[in-house]
Amino acid sequence: MGKIMPLELLASIKGATSSEAVNDLFEVIRKALPEEGQQENREELHLSEAVGIDHLRGDEVAESSEIEKEIIRKNFPGEKKGYLVVPKVIED
Amino acid sequence: MMESVIRRLHEDLLNERITCVKFIEGKIAELKESPNNTANYLLSESALERALEVDKKIRAGDPIQLLEGIPFGLKDVYLLQGVHAAGSSDFLKPYISPYTATAIQKLTDAGAIPLVKENCDSFGHGSSNENSAFGPARNALNEERVPGGSSGGSAVNVAKGYTAFSVGGDTGGSIRQPAGYNGVYGMKPTYGRISRYGLMAYASSTDCVGPISRSLEDIRILLNAMSGRDSRDQTTIPSTPIPAEIFSEAFPVNDTSVGYYRSFMENEDLDPAMRDDFLRLIEKLKQLGLNVRELDFFDTGILVSTYYIIAMAETASNLARLDGISYGERMAAETLKEGYALTRSAHFSEETRRRIVGGNQVLSHGHSEEIYLKARGIRNQVIRNFSRDFQQVDLLVSPVSPSPPPPLGSSLDHPFEMYQSDAYTVGFSLGGLPTLTVPAGTETGIQVTAAKNREAEILRFAKFLTEGVEWN
Repeated sequence: MGKIMPLELLASIKGATSSEAVNDLFEVIRKALPEEGQQENREELHLSEAVGIDHLRGDEVAESSEIEKEIIRKNFPGEKKGYLVVPKVIED
Repeated sequence: MMESVIRRLHEDLLNERITCVKFIEGKIAELKESPNNTANYLLSESALERALEVDKKIRAGDPIQLLEGIPFGLKDVYLLQGVHAAGSSDFLKPYISPYTATAIQKLTDAGAIPLVKENCDSFGHGSSNENSAFGPARNALNEERVPGGSSGGSAVNVAKGYTAFSVGGDTGGSIRQPAGYNGVYGMKPTYGRISRYGLMAYASSTDCVGPISRSLEDIRILLNAMSGRDSRDQTTIPSTPIPAEIFSEAFPVNDTSVGYYRSFMENEDLDPAMRDDFLRLIEKLKQLGLNVRELDFFDTGILVSTYYIIAMAETASNLARLDGISYGERMAAETLKEGYALTRSAHFSEETRRRIVGGNQVLSHGHSEEIYLKARGIRNQVIRNFSRDFQQVDLLVSPVSPSPPPPLGSSLDHPFEMYQSDAYTVGFSLGGLPTLTVPAGTETGIQVTAAKNREAEILRFAKFLTEGVEWN
């Protein structure tokens, strides 16, 4: 908490800065009348959009097909001597 | 407008007026020669293999299903196992779909033949189909104009007859606006009616799968084929098939009330000729005996901003998965975070970067209460507004777009103006309501909207509009 993250880091995009077009969109909402912008009633929203518990999917692991696994391996961007290569992780 | 392309082709195949192979060979040639740049990937080999099987069945006298042998296009944001799915992005050009989207699987299970992965705005980010790593598609009616977006390639393919139908994706108008720009039908169903599993997520709370077609009857057939609950998309809802009889029943003119929004007519961006055309339609409906009411609604600028703020927040979260680690392009760097940033900077388009940055901005400390939560609050009020309106009227009619399709090359440098071109489509996305573009009434058609799960009423009214109303 308290640490300010620059947009560049938040978006993981080099040189990211706010754009005029997007700021113009924000401005419209900032200026919207209070009755148009009542803070959302979280309970109301969640009740209207929630999936009933009778319809929740079971928490089960579904095995992927062999062809699916093969394509997922082929999609991996880095491979060396049969191993999938990932970038080095350096904590900072 | 009503004749079913699917039924006509089905009859032609059954009666051996044409073979499926011959027909699909013809469509492949047309797509290859087309100046409209609608095809990211042609699926020629697999389509012809499937077509051969259909021809064998017909020759053997075996029965075939209605959709069997019917070639269709799918927007390049859908997964089809073993086939490229770039989402018209540079980032995912090397990506092969490991599995198939539920909606597409239902169509192929019914025998329909996927023929082409269609050009669109990258990840659905655009209203002109110019934000594509495959270059812009061109309008079917005027090649110097944009085809609309994001499902531009899909609407053009249908309008030109390259595909019998196409499957588009609509987050804020991406089926309805290109359908209007190219003179075909395009339907955004009720949110959740068709599974989103296997559709690249843009803004998950409004993303919808839907059909684009030259025929109302085909919209009905395709809705029935693709709808239904799916355990892989827990936002899916149950629905009942729409019977063919809705088109043969007399339309209850004196028992139907239709609303339209005053604020939509007051939009300063609305082309004067299109405003006149729309108001002429309203007068005509009154003369025919329908109960027509002018209703109050939000200012279109507020609707556009509310939609884009929510959509940008959701796409920033959804596209966070594109980091070059498991799939797509990857750029090497000294550290993990540097690798993410280099990869994402190099392989996202300018418009996609703008939306991701805007989404992160709006979700960040200081902005979320002032903008994001306020936008969510407005969305709730939009939903309440619709509930109130549908106690007064059965249907809503509105223009599809404020103006005709702009010339190619005029949209990308003016993103705020491009966002405003969605003025009439985004509200119904925020409400999750079923809405159909009907290619009649104004230069870019009109939208017909009903309460959730009332697609049948929309189709019935659309038939009345196209056959029962005399257009000047």
